[in-house]
Amino acid sequence: MRGLTRRAALALGASGAALTLIGWSNSALAAAKETAEQIAKFTGGKEAAKSKVSIELPEIAENGNTVPLSFSVDAPMTADNYVTDVMVVAEGNPNPGVATFHFTPLSGKAEAQTRIRLATTQNIIVVAKTSKGEVFTGQKLVKVTIGGCGG
Amino acid sequence: MMRGTYISGAAACAILAASLLAAPAAHAQAKKEAQLELKGDASARPWKRYPGWPARDYSKYNSLGKLATAPAPKEPRKLAGPITGDAAKGAKLVADRSRGGSCLACHVMGQAGNADLPGNVAPDLSEIGNAGREDEWLFNYVYDGRVYNADTVMPPWGSHGFFTDAEINDIVAFLKTLKKPAVFRTVLDNPEKRPAPVEKRDNLDAIENPGMWAVDKAQELWKLKSSAGFSCNTCHSDPKAQFKTWAASMPKWEPRLDKVLGVEEFVTRHTKATTGATWLMETDENRAMSVYLHFLANGEPIKIDTASAGAKAAIARGVELSKRKVGQLNMACTDCHGIAANKWIRGQWMGEPKGQYDHFPTWRTSLLAVWDIRQRFQWCSVNIRGDELPPDAKEYGDLELYLASQNDGLKLSVPGIRH
Amino acid sequence: MAEKPRLKLPKQAKKGDIIEIKTLMPHIMESGQRKDKDGKVIPRKIINKFVCEFNGKPVFSADLDPAIAANPYLQFSAKVEESGTFKFTWTEDGGAVITAEEKITVS
Repeated sequence: MRGLTRRAALALGASGAALTLIGWSNSALAAAKETAEQIAKFTGGKEAAKSKVSIELPEIAENGNTVPLSFSVDAPMTADNYVTDVMVVAEGNPNPGVATFHFTPLSGKAEAQTRIRLATTQNIIVVAKTSKGEVFTGQKLVKVTIGGCGG
Repeated sequence: MMRGTYISGAAACAILAASLLAAPAAHAQAKKEAQLELKGDASARPWKRYPGWPARDYSKYNSLGKLATAPAPKEPRKLAGPITGDAAKGAKLVADRSRGGSCLACHVMGQAGNADLPGNVAPDLSEIGNAGREDEWLFNYVYDGRVYNADTVMPPWGSHGFFTDAEINDIVAFLKTLKKPAVFRTVLDNPEKRPAPVEKRDNLDAIENPGMWAVDKAQELWKLKSSAGFSCNTCHSDPKAQFKTWAASMPKWEPRLDKVLGVEEFVTRHTKATTGATWLMETDENRAMSVYLHFLANGEPIKIDTASAGAKAAIARGVELSKRKVGQLNMACTDCHGIAANKWIRGQWMGEPKGQYDHFPTWRTSLLAVWDIRQRFQWCSVNIRGDELPPDAKEYGDLELYLASQNDGLKLSVPGIRH
Repeated sequence: MAEKPRLKLPKQAKKGDIIEIKTLMPHIMESGQRKDKDGKVIPRKIINKFVCEFNGKPVFSADLDPAIAANPYLQFSAKVEESGTFKFTWTEDGGAVITAEEKITVS
């Protein structure tokens, strides 16, 4: 969204000074930090593989009030190997948490659809973990459209 | 508030009873004139703007109800000398939405506003710094473009008080720096390459469209007995059959009221005259009933009377109203839905009048509310900083009849679902 | 009149089928971010949890934050091995619970 990926920025050492130099505002910085913390809590600090998670979102949302989101995790859903939880975070929202979904082998598929609120154009990040301890992630940029006359 | 007497529900049904017994109800009712409360207004008086809408007073400018805007200047202003302004300030002003848009609503302007979804109603100005335009010409076009083009869509940013002279100087200074094509971050930001939105949602799927709850609500209201003991159901016990086409014939010239009546105003006046219930326009009950009455005629092509003398005169008035410049932004329906049709105003696609009526009342996802066409007309004015009229204003009736005539033949699909 | 939750799922299926379930709950999902006309924050009140069970066993559930849009929509899958009853439970901040049930015949 602002040039460097969040991951790259964090890899730089995640010091406030470094990220401010890149050009992130303080609020974007706070949101990115909170997002990273929430994800770390969900994964138990484990590194998520950037695979198996597909996300559908409009490229331009007609407004930020209701944006259709669907995701799907390409993983088995058998009794001994199934997706247990999927967390969705919105990096640019005042509070990044959107929802956490819990699946069982009775779910059949690790997929869901919902409608979300977005404060602004931003990345939506989806993180999935399985009963075997694997962690997968994916993300997608959504532009929230800008209205015409300002009112 | 509604005043005056009304025919009691019992009397109304007695009038119809004879023909009901003799012939199928639908045919019988088609031959009779519907009872209408002819006295009083069909919406709240005094009319108060909706909470949450900009509360500014726009009485200095034209509305669809009255003319007030000061005449355009006859001559461009002469400037004392070349313009010195702050281009960095100008770059911020052209992207400032709180100033009625502003410029990026219609123009691409290089990297102003991060080139974030600019509009393309008007020329791309990214290279205007190389176009050889005099400072005075640039100043006057922003101050009041009508001195160069009397019919311009360009709002009179200076003479209507959006920007001070100093701010226009800053804007001109910024324009003079624009010498390279805009670089868009993604193809979607480029209005020339941005794909027009296509409405794919199934608006009649109750799980897709929260507006469908209005149908449920109306079905309950249909049977709700008024204090006089009557409901819609008293006379209309089979709405599915009886209203299969009715809404597609609306709005209609009503000689008894000397105005065009839309479905919403009809509901207010007919209900008052029969069951006695008061369902003013822009109440939840009225909106639900309007959704339902249109819903019952879904699939029916819009076919309104445009031939009678009253309808012809109303449409002629509607045509003129659609050309009137309204509000501080000085825009007419024909500006946004004619000149700007099939173009982007910032991130919003402007539609032609055809296709803009068949889905009303519609659910609005940005507002979590059902809007009927009259509320849509009201917001069009307020949005461009002009005063709205009460929803039952006769001018809105003329405009609605004209709009319906432009949608002749399109099939109703209500409730719609839109942003 | 309070709006009713909307549910969409098949009434019949074959053993082992994965069916699609759609749910829509009428609710304003007051985020706690909005202010009223006097500038006071409107307190948060949302549906914070959704649970789907089949014949008493958990199938799918979701913990919802205020970033879920008003009139929360949830679509998910369920693998059916036997006939029975789906039970859907929505929980609001403060503990109020709304439930709905749908039967399915599995052959």
